Amino acid sequence: MSSESPSSPFRAGAGAALGAPAIAMGVSFLAFGAAVAAAGLGPGWALGASLGVYGMAGQLVLLQAGAGDPAGAALGATAANARFLPMAMAIAPWLGPPSGPGPGWRWLALPFIAITPWAAAMRVLPGLPEAARLRWFLGFALASWLVAGLATWLGLLAAPWLRPSLLAALLFANPLYFALLLAAEGRMPASRLPILAGIAAAPLAILLPAAWGLLAAGLVGGTLAFLLRRPARRGGRARGGGGGGGRG
Amino acid sequence: MLDGRGLALALSIAAMLGLRAVGLLVAGRLRPDHPLIAWASAVSQATLSAFVALAVVLPGGAAASLPLAARLAGLAAGLLAWWWGRGRLLPALLAGLAALVAVRALLGG
Repeated sequence: MSSESPSSPFRAGAGAALGAPAIAMGVSFLAFGAAVAAAGLGPGWALGASLGVYGMAGQLVLLQAGAGDPAGAALGATAANARFLPMAMAIAPWLGPPSGPGPGWRWLALPFIAITPWAAAMRVLPGLPEAARLRWFLGFALASWLVAGLATWLGLLAAPWLRPSLLAALLFANPLYFALLLAAEGRMPASRLPILAGIAAAPLAILLPAAWGLLAAGLVGGTLAFLLRRPARRGGRARGGGGGGGRG
Repeated sequence: MLDGRGLALALSIAAMLGLRAVGLLVAGRLRPDHPLIAWASAVSQATLSAFVALAVVLPGGAAASLPLAARLAGLAAGLLAWWWGRGRLLPALLAGLAALVAVRALLGG
């Protein structure tokens, strides 16, 4: 990957984003746009969610939560995307210095830290010269972000012409995509327990109101996994990737 | 004036920016294996896996019209294709969706 067009890291990053990642993301965001239209919401809300929240798990939680409890819905969406915090911590060292003589250019990356750009960047940036890293990330991230917005818009426009059966199949692309990302994370032993604990705690979400259920399941499952893992971490090697968990 | 949906969206956008900003701010101040980071990572993974489990077993909205057998077949086919394809996402995603559609058609859904 380090051999990619050193003359224009931004362009190389954008080019990398417009392959398989764009198609996988595009299907998800197209389905999201159609689901937003099916819920009776407009393009402002759809694009605000796709480009502002920019994390599909949180977007779907927000969409499914309804209008009754805004604080609960926002908390549920935040819990679903809580991985942004450790992801940002893991990627920060590859984006340049946080302060000092320069103005802290890494902050330009702030709105774009999400699963797809993060996973690609963690794979590619270590192999690039330091001066090229932030520009490569911004190229990849901006292209992905625009694909997400465009696909959402197309989903909104296409919704009236999509048969309900096709819309339902497209909606399944989101959980399937996340299941595949979790499978990739599950290759790392440290990630298996939180993933299994989340599945085990999922019934909590059925018992509680929609806006709070997923947050409760994640907190209970994740905290249990964290507590169960602690003795092993103290006794053995402390794996440094606890913050990233692999693929974000 | 924002309605409930708009307010939830605005709060969520602010929260997402906050999560990312805190991550960038504290990077370098905490070790990657700091307990707080490990806990946040575990909660985010558990939340996502709970979300996937619910979306497959008990989905809401239009996805609820898909038979459970079709959803399970789609998930299984996607994971198998991911495994056979050595972690390639796109073929796995397409294989899962194709299995979903095929099983639904077989069931007459």
